[in-house]
Amino acid sequence: MTAQGQIYQGKQLVQADALANVDAVIPGEPFLVGVRLKMQPLWHTYWKYPGDAGIPTDIKWELPEGWRAGSIQWPIPLRLQEPGDIQIYGYHDEVLLIQQITPAKNVTNSTVKLSAKVNWLVCEKICIPGDAVVTLSLPSASTNSPANTELFSRFQKQLPVPPGANFSASWKTEVTGLVLNVTQPDLAKFPSVDFFPSPPENVAVGHPRLESHEGATYTFRIPLDNAKQDFKSLPGLIVFGNSVDGRDRRAWDISVGQEMAAANENSTLSEVLRFLVFGFIGGFILNLMPCVLPVISLKIFGFVRQAGQSRARIFRRGLAFIAGIFAWFLGLALVLVIIKSAGGQPVWAAQFTNPYFVLFMSAVVLVFALNLFGVFEINLPQWLSRRAVAAEGSMQGDAGSFFQGVFATVLATPCTAPFLGTALGFAFTQSATVILLMFGSIALGMSAPYFLLSAQPAWLKFLPKPGAWMARVKQFMGFLLIATLLFLLSVLGAQRGVACLIWTAAFLLVLSIACWMKGAFITPLASAKTRGLVLLLMLVLVIGSGIYFIGDKFQSAAAVANPTAPSGGWEKFTPERLASELQQGHSIFIDFTAEWCITCKFNESTVLETAAVRAAFSERQIVKLKADWTNGDPAITKLLKQFGRPGVPLYVLYPGGTAQPYVFPELLTKNIVLEKLETVNRSIASQ
Amino acid sequence: MKTLLLALSSIVATTLFAADSPPVGAAAPDFSLPDASGKTHGLSEYKGKYVVLEWFNPECPFVKKHYGSGNMQKLQGEYTGKGVVWLTIDSNAPGSEGNLSPEQAQKVMKDWKTKQTALLLDPEGKAGRTYNARNTPHMFVINPEGKVIYEGAIDSKASPNPADIPSSTNYVKVALDESMSGKPVSNANTRPYGCSVKYK
Repeated sequence: MTAQGQIYQGKQLVQADALANVDAVIPGEPFLVGVRLKMQPLWHTYWKYPGDAGIPTDIKWELPEGWRAGSIQWPIPLRLQEPGDIQIYGYHDEVLLIQQITPAKNVTNSTVKLSAKVNWLVCEKICIPGDAVVTLSLPSASTNSPANTELFSRFQKQLPVPPGANFSASWKTEVTGLVLNVTQPDLAKFPSVDFFPSPPENVAVGHPRLESHEGATYTFRIPLDNAKQDFKSLPGLIVFGNSVDGRDRRAWDISVGQEMAAANENSTLSEVLRFLVFGFIGGFILNLMPCVLPVISLKIFGFVRQAGQSRARIFRRGLAFIAGIFAWFLGLALVLVIIKSAGGQPVWAAQFTNPYFVLFMSAVVLVFALNLFGVFEINLPQWLSRRAVAAEGSMQGDAGSFFQGVFATVLATPCTAPFLGTALGFAFTQSATVILLMFGSIALGMSAPYFLLSAQPAWLKFLPKPGAWMARVKQFMGFLLIATLLFLLSVLGAQRGVACLIWTAAFLLVLSIACWMKGAFITPLASAKTRGLVLLLMLVLVIGSGIYFIGDKFQSAAAVANPTAPSGGWEKFTPERLASELQQGHSIFIDFTAEWCITCKFNESTVLETAAVRAAFSERQIVKLKADWTNGDPAITKLLKQFGRPGVPLYVLYPGGTAQPYVFPELLTKNIVLEKLETVNRSIASQ
Repeated sequence: MKTLLLALSSIVATTLFAADSPPVGAAAPDFSLPDASGKTHGLSEYKGKYVVLEWFNPECPFVKKHYGSGNMQKLQGEYTGKGVVWLTIDSNAPGSEGNLSPEQAQKVMKDWKTKQTALLLDPEGKAGRTYNARNTPHMFVINPEGKVIYEGAIDSKASPNPADIPSSTNYVKVALDESMSGKPVSNANTRPYGCSVKYK
């Protein structure tokens, strides 16, 4: 239906009408409507942020009871210049302003009539306000087919999208405005790169200026007129294309979560120090986290054994262990720095989203367990032992401690302890130096107890004296490692399914046999010929089964698409789902979790799945979304990063409306959750 | 030393950002323009008095909103009555919408029963560019010491609809009232709305 626009000098300046992307309404099923404005040549209407002059087009839908309309999806506007350095954002010729409409669950009428009041300001040399009522009639049916596809797809292509995985942005506050740095390798391909701000209501913003670009990094300066207002960042679009006004332009919306992700690349010294302290505390707490526990017992066992040796040696072992911790963390930091500079997206604990890494860890843990059970002994090759003996005979022990240190920290990575989460989220957006310092302080925190214990061995006297019981303790430690193995296998099962788990188990069985062969036949008493033969057979077994079970069967088992099918009122998180729920003004709680995250499981069973918390969720009609990161879903990775978090767990509450999301601490308690849910307005939630 | 550094860095920052309008708290730049009757008004002659600057375009729907409803005339009358100098400025270039010859300016003032101190003609856009006035209406309030104490919109509802006026907060009125009673201006900087000034 076409409505009357305003007439100026005999011309109708704007023709407005409404269209749907379907030919019939299915009850309860959302569809899209678009208000199309056709303007006379050279005349323009405005974007949601009009710039220095003008006002945005306003659309108010009149909908039947129980229907909902989402907010306007604005296509990328043109930036138009007027004399006197006046800059506005708007549309020429034709624009389609799309909104999602959600019909009621039951629609009684056979034909549904929708209407909207549209207000706009259209300008060329002069400005004229206009308005129209547009209407749309659609039959109600149980099936429908797409309509107006060309028009909708043409304008949907021009909608801003969330930035891709390789995108990063940082903000800096200066005396009279903001400096925005954005990096994305693909940007350099485009001759035209712009920032279009969409500041909050009643905030005056000067003209963003592209100050410089070096490779894929672009720096914009955005003057802020409101000197008293303390903004750390602004929502807006990064617009890029082959020309400043081409149809081929694309844009990234950098609004969502920017406020939180806004990290200051030029942090002050005290800020850095504070985070280093957090890193230290976080590292220390890592020792107490559930997924480190089995390894801690291993380490304690090591100390017991050392208790009988000389102080100097104990201290050396301690230092070697600490060196191992440092080597792992600084290695991680280096990899992070390298990946960061290569434009990739490193994520804390991301190793555990890679099934091959989990498989490798399982194999290592099993071999260690068998070693503890006494199936085989680790003895270094003779040439090495000889050299080691020559080097004071302590080499082997130090190297062992070193690798124990590495091993302990490898297993610690999936546990982002509360302080560590903040500290790492911070380190993520920082310069290489800060990342290295940060990881260094984590390593320092994690190794502090070992340093104290090995430097003050007097405290070791509280530990029991070595004896025959040690063999029993050692064997028992093996069971703890088997428990760790079970955990790793459950992760693998969640990632790749049962078939995959069986192939892995088969491989592990062959690996165990190889270990047994080593223990039984490769003894110092056996002849060189036997040793060589057995060693060959072991290699053939391990490599053969590796190729057969892992290279072939394992690889062909596809990733489980939806590792944990959400239940109990939880629904699967997708960015689209979040966007549509937000548009409809719903309150949303997101649980970022993973199969391998023990802290997540703990929070879920002790807080989120308790009767009281469940009741509070349903009473306030909060949409519960589960973001399962078991396989490292990149969409979830991106959102985690926007919240400044490098890993799970993360719990976020969108209170509804336009209120800022609230981020919960990583260790939940019932009280924290219930208190926060109290603040969700019941009336908003039930709208 | 510290102050010197601060001053230096803010100068650098200001040049880098090419700050837009004279910031609130800064001295209002001087200008000198003829009014509709040919008499020249310089801002400096009004030192010691509150001055309101109002950018104007009689063709603009947002300006018409405030004159058609009598809102602007009421405000002008109320504050010129309290000794405030109200200068309405037309910075639109010759040949573009809203540009006024002295005769047309006098006719608009008479027809609309306006109550400002003077309607100044700035066809070259000199004063407009100095203040980086971007909209009609775009409002500035200057205190007796010659400092800008308010810059931005006339009121809180950015629309061309006169029906919105009664429910809007008039920022100019608030700024003048607060400043006159010795209080700091609570909302000294807002986003102006309206048509763009049609510069040469």
